Amino acid sequence: MDRHPLTAAPSRGPSRTRRWATGRTDQRVERTLGALAVTVLILIGAMLVTVFVKAWPSFSHNGLSWFGPGGDVDSQLRAMQEVKALPGHSIYYFRGWPLIWGTLLTTVSAVLIALVVSTLAAVFLTEFAPSAVRRTLDPVIRLLAGVPSVIYGLIGILVLVPFINNHLISESRRASVGYVVQLNGADVMTATLILTVMILPIMVAISANALAAVPAAWREGSLALGVNRWRTIWRVSLQTARPAIVAATVLATARALGEAVMLAMVAGGRGFAPNLLDGLTALFEPVRPLAATIFQNSEGLTIAALAHTIYAIGAVLLVSAAMLSLAGWAAKQRFKRYGVRA
Amino acid sequence: MRAHRTLTHRTLIVSAVLALALAAPASAVASKRLIIDGSTSMLPLVQKLAVAYHKAFPKIPAPKVGGGQTDIGINDVAAGRVDIGDASRDPIPGVDPEHLVFSKIARDGVCVITNSANPLPNLTQETVQGIFTGDIRDWSQVPGSSLTGPIDLFDREAVSGTQDAFQNIFLGETLKISPSATAESSEGLEVNAVGAQKSAIGFVSFAATVNGGVHTVDYQGIPCTLANAKSGQYGGVRNFWMVTKREPKGEAAKFIDWIVKPGNLTVRKIVSSLWIAIH
Amino acid sequence: MAIADLTPNAADRAPAPPRGSVIARAPRQRTTAWPLVDRVAYALCWAVGVGLCLIALAIVLFMFFKGIAYLRPHLFVESPAPSAVQSQSGGFLDPVVGTLIVAMLGIAIAMPVGVALGTWLAEYGRPAWLARAVESVIEIIAGAPSVVLALFGLLIFSQGYLGFLSQTAASGGVFGRSFFAAGAVMAVLALPLVVASTREGLTRLPDRLREASYALGRTPATTVRRVLLPAIRPDIATGGVLGLGRIIGDTAIITILLGTFLDLEKVGSVPVLGTLRGTGSTLTSYIFSNSPAGEGNAPGKAYAAAFLLLMIVLILNGIVTWLTNRDGQSDGGGLSRALRLLPLWSRLTWR
Repeated sequence: MDRHPLTAAPSRGPSRTRRWATGRTDQRVERTLGALAVTVLILIGAMLVTVFVKAWPSFSHNGLSWFGPGGDVDSQLRAMQEVKALPGHSIYYFRGWPLIWGTLLTTVSAVLIALVVSTLAAVFLTEFAPSAVRRTLDPVIRLLAGVPSVIYGLIGILVLVPFINNHLISESRRASVGYVVQLNGADVMTATLILTVMILPIMVAISANALAAVPAAWREGSLALGVNRWRTIWRVSLQTARPAIVAATVLATARALGEAVMLAMVAGGRGFAPNLLDGLTALFEPVRPLAATIFQNSEGLTIAALAHTIYAIGAVLLVSAAMLSLAGWAAKQRFKRYGVRA
Repeated sequence: MRAHRTLTHRTLIVSAVLALALAAPASAVASKRLIIDGSTSMLPLVQKLAVAYHKAFPKIPAPKVGGGQTDIGINDVAAGRVDIGDASRDPIPGVDPEHLVFSKIARDGVCVITNSANPLPNLTQETVQGIFTGDIRDWSQVPGSSLTGPIDLFDREAVSGTQDAFQNIFLGETLKISPSATAESSEGLEVNAVGAQKSAIGFVSFAATVNGGVHTVDYQGIPCTLANAKSGQYGGVRNFWMVTKREPKGEAAKFIDWIVKPGNLTVRKIVSSLWIAIH
Repeated sequence: MAIADLTPNAADRAPAPPRGSVIARAPRQRTTAWPLVDRVAYALCWAVGVGLCLIALAIVLFMFFKGIAYLRPHLFVESPAPSAVQSQSGGFLDPVVGTLIVAMLGIAIAMPVGVALGTWLAEYGRPAWLARAVESVIEIIAGAPSVVLALFGLLIFSQGYLGFLSQTAASGGVFGRSFFAAGAVMAVLALPLVVASTREGLTRLPDRLREASYALGRTPATTVRRVLLPAIRPDIATGGVLGLGRIIGDTAIITILLGTFLDLEKVGSVPVLGTLRGTGSTLTSYIFSNSPAGEGNAPGKAYAAAFLLLMIVLILNGIVTWLTNRDGQSDGGGLSRALRLLPLWSRLTWR
């Protein structure tokens, strides 16, 4: 059958074409798809609303001090589990600062370290590395970027935690904090290290892609003006790749924030707020970030007060993720001025 | 051609939806399988009982047994989420939800355990209390220990029945376990944790110690063995209960009656292997 | 594009050197001539780069060697043995089957919904406020931690009227945990990836394709169905594979919505539905269970399962590379292609 657009006979019979070609069908398709979009919107909107509704009692009983310090968060959770309120407080009493501090410590440190390391590594990969190294490393980095977080947790808990426990924590250090908390190798340092290793590959991949995409003319122009290679990279390539690096950072932060299982394995599992004034010992103290707390308490959702508190933690995480997306969008808007689409 | 493909697509989709719609209520009606959760110390026992129950009555599907620890099980059964809750501690009136019926099915020994590298021969009640409340913090202060260095305490979570049992039997009403202890959320995790750290000490049910990996400590001069627990010489023994909302009925009643029936040799054999049979 | 091309007057361009002659090139400036700050930065780059190479290779080789050391054929065909003797026997047949079931369920729900949503957003998108709302909601889902999604899933599937999707206790409570529940929440996880890929694919298609189709008398609906969607099949496939990667790597949803027991447990006697209503495990929860953080205490099995998971990720990566390289429509230079790939890359590992 002749299918050429100019010479083909019109498609079979008027009835068949009619069925698909009417404006009514078109409207129907658009309305169906629109209905699907509305359904998805309602479902997911309902999810968000439910999380906040179930979280409200915890916030209303504690007010803004929900985010503040005040006692041992583990014993507050324990009181909710036993349905036996702590003396002088309601059953909803909760001061989440240790969890928030743990999250901040691990996430911010990991992202800062990863930012510096990934930028330098991306520069190395695109500019200085011999092509053989680059060719081997590219698939390796992509493989690492795709590795599930539970495998990073496995490596952490089987290799890093015993190493730190046996070689880096001395008896005197253990004894110095023993009356408050037990050190066992799963702590802030391990969590930050593994988190950094986890978010590095994706940041390196994105930054390297962006650096490789800088127009050669811009680099050559800078070199022709007598600027040395490093300064060219610093002043021209990295500036051009800034939107991508910012996007990669936002991505990495969101991933680090939402990481529950891996941190439940290696961060220590205790709602403890390391005191930075302790010096180096603070690095060896256990923490339990917000997402890991939800994960570890997911069985106790039948107990009312505990359920409200867990949903409150979930609400905090959702709001943080939304604010991160907003920050990423705002950063992209700023860069749009330069005509660079990220 | 196009019409034929469209027709086949539509027929496929409609028949798939119909099959799902027909099967769903059918399967919803057919299987009323018992759902049990609660104590992690009772988990191996109840799992074995469930398998034996299904073998004895092949028409009845084996009950689905889960963990979650005692208080979660009690709350779940009070909320109607599960049929039976396993509790490894005695009922606490005023704290437990109302209208619960506890049926005793066995007794169990609770042992204090240390790492295999630290084979403590014996612990007195004072030493146990001192260690677990945090008064004694270094192994050099514990008579009989060849280790030095800070003690690593391992506790169970607040919702654990074993925790309650240990508290009542070894510490009494007033003393509380040191808040610096690491709280594990199940028997298995407690055994693993103590087995992994040289300076660790904790407590588990006797059944969890038989696979090796940890050292059981004599308490008040009596070794923590099944024979001593049965004879009553070893003091650290607690009850295992199956909890239902109001009197057990239907499938749950059948299961519990089968377990507590006097003279049921299958059940007696299973329970006596690692626990103390009382029926 | 050389600097020379920027000059407006072609006659000003330097004549090309005759063939065969030697072109004198000034030697590249030696780094020792650089100022100290630049030299330090250069050394730092090299140090970090080499360090990264070493760490990356160390991790990959470590997992490979450990995995091969512990991987045995019997692991693939045996089910996990009951808890107490975990370290001696049993395999990961049930977790592998569980992974396949969850992945298939998740993708089966996410693909049609995602493609439909992406198409609506790219081609229709009326009214505008609705389109913006849907976009924002998809963004929020993409950034939400999977634990929160799992919590919500548990809430929904524990409702009485959804009892047929899991099991019901004889006293009326709904168990709430099953493959259906896990698959549905996994679909929500994979949805943003499929939507994003479809949207990008459709917006990248040149308008002339649509105009040609309209000129031939087809309506927008037919155009989408017969012209545009087939044209972006590689993008849709990429989105699906990326979603699959994210589904396979998630542990939190599995532990919360599928339970912590490793064996596949059917509910009722209906063949396929019984398994889907029942509980089980996947490779990720199996690894978690066998690590020191779980009860299994069998690190060897965890390494073997991790190796299998890595192989699966490797294969998925290969498929994504093959799909993106097959895409011959590259209109634009290196910058636009890289920036086009950037969003796809960024979603590659969104766990």
